[in-house]
Amino acid sequence: MIEIKDLHKSYRMGSNSLHVLKGINFTAEEGELVAIMGSSGSGKSTLLNILGMLDLADSGEYTLDNVPIKDLSETKAAQYRNKFLGFIFQSFNLINYKSALENVALPLYYQKVGRKERQEKALNYLERVGLKEWATHLPSELSGGQKQRVAIARAMAAEPKVLLADEPTGALDSKTSYEVMDLIQKINDEGNTILVVTHEEDIAHMCKRIVHLKDGVIVEDKKIEQVRAQQYV
Amino acid sequence: MFDRDIWQEIFHTLRNNKLRTFLTGFSVGWAIFILVMLLASVNGMQNGFTNQFNDDATNSIFIRPGTTAEAYGGFEAGRRIQLKNDDYEYLKSSFPKDIEYISSRYFTGTTARYKAETGSYSVQAVHPDHQIIEKTLITEGRFFNDADVQNRAKVAVLGRKVAEDLFKDEEPLGKFVEFNGLPFRVIGIFTDDGDDNAERRIYAPITTYQRIYGNTNIINQVVLTYNPTYDLTRALEFSGKLEDLMKRRHKVAPEDQAGINVWNYAEAFDNISSFTTVLSAISIGVGFLILIAGIVGIGNIMVFTIKERTKEIGVRKALGAQPKQIINLVLLESVFITAISGFIGLIFAWIILSVIGPTIDTPAFSNPSVSLSTVITATIILIVAGVLAGLIPAIKAANVKPIVALSDK
Repeated sequence: MIEIKDLHKSYRMGSNSLHVLKGINFTAEEGELVAIMGSSGSGKSTLLNILGMLDLADSGEYTLDNVPIKDLSETKAAQYRNKFLGFIFQSFNLINYKSALENVALPLYYQKVGRKERQEKALNYLERVGLKEWATHLPSELSGGQKQRVAIARAMAAEPKVLLADEPTGALDSKTSYEVMDLIQKINDEGNTILVVTHEEDIAHMCKRIVHLKDGVIVEDKKIEQVRAQQYV
Repeated sequence: MFDRDIWQEIFHTLRNNKLRTFLTGFSVGWAIFILVMLLASVNGMQNGFTNQFNDDATNSIFIRPGTTAEAYGGFEAGRRIQLKNDDYEYLKSSFPKDIEYISSRYFTGTTARYKAETGSYSVQAVHPDHQIIEKTLITEGRFFNDADVQNRAKVAVLGRKVAEDLFKDEEPLGKFVEFNGLPFRVIGIFTDDGDDNAERRIYAPITTYQRIYGNTNIINQVVLTYNPTYDLTRALEFSGKLEDLMKRRHKVAPEDQAGINVWNYAEAFDNISSFTTVLSAISIGVGFLILIAGIVGIGNIMVFTIKERTKEIGVRKALGAQPKQIINLVLLESVFITAISGFIGLIFAWIILSVIGPTIDTPAFSNPSVSLSTVITATIILIVAGVLAGLIPAIKAANVKPIVALSDK
């Protein structure tokens, strides 16, 4: 599903150049649930941004679902993001003046799905995250865990190839964190490919594979025994 | 453009920022209001001028003698030029095709008496054509004709005020009124809505007056109207020719305006229309400058809005919004504010003009109004203005990097 070869990325900081990714090689198969771990500055967010086509690599190859990702125009990148990727952010990033339903429907709007179909689909995904009754509520009326579930529904609504979660539990207490992870595991059980960036060990162990980043290189890549979040809920 | 979702979002942002929207919209509405009012004022001035000049035939030429200011042809400066009957005859016979109507004018004053009533009035002794040249409106009776002129008939046409003064409630037509002791039969009454003073005037055949009061062939002025099919250039050319001829005839230096003055109304009209053209150009200019202030205001607010919504735009881009969709959203919002507030200004100005406009009718200012074309132009300007105002903010919005917008730091 995802294939990365010798990825390099550096940032210019004034006169200094900061080499963040120093040759990353990484593949993820369909249906994998991968945790990307590392301390801050390890390059994990940069890697996720490049995977999410929010940022461009300096060199290296990136193939997503057999589509080479390179030389993207803004418009093309937007189309690919819409088609291939679903984002889950630490701070949820819901649009605060739109109801939960409208938020979930937004990616479908950009896919030019008709209004009625969009609403049906969005409601369906809200139901799957257990928030059907909250469809008409604004994000400000929801708890943190509920917001993140709306955000997950939104990420799934466009039926992307890969879900990218950047510290999805970073802003949540541990109980809600486990609820969110339980949801992510269930989505993964259905065969979706999910990449989770986190620095929390317990969250990482709820994935099926852990990739450790340190100073811009992968230092460890191991399959693990998945801890089900269900038992903590 | 007619996407329900886009409009929903626009309404939402506007609703959430009522005061800001109002203040911005106000600047544009105000600008359009001023622009329309300025144009209407120029239009009012134009109407006023036209009304005033319509009092006389607009194709008239006045030939007035004076005192020479330059020595010429063996004569010293300071010579009085006197027009005579033969000048009139000469002009009349020389330009049968160019001249439509022609009349001499002989000015004098008289003490008029009817029964016990007396009064002093100015008399213009003229030819029958004068009625048409001056657009004299006969309310009763008739103006004198060629036969009266030929017979040196002692007939008079009185101004409305003269008739009122002398005859009170009596019917003046057919009665005899004494001018300096000589009886003249009243054959007509005229009015002049341009000017009250004109109604204190008396018209009489020029031949009668020249014979009775001094047995002279002197005339004070010649007025004529040129062929109405002539355009401005041709009219000016003709009056130029008249001027040259008359100056040669009376041995006046060609450049000497004091010796003989030929005044062409067309010239005045030319001046006025260029005057009002300049005036409308100035008001359009001023209106535009004010409008630019409004546009900058809207642009400013939009930039601010974009800054505030940077994160939201970043999220939208991450979810797959294309740059052109973002641009669309911002531009539509800008055009919407501009157009709506501009229309309000436009309608406001239009209401004021249609209520007040028709009641204004002074010599220099009459019925200020705007034409449909002005309204259409203003609308187009508004939409263009909206696009211009939104352009920079929209490009700014399209360039928002989702990665920057989404960073939580």
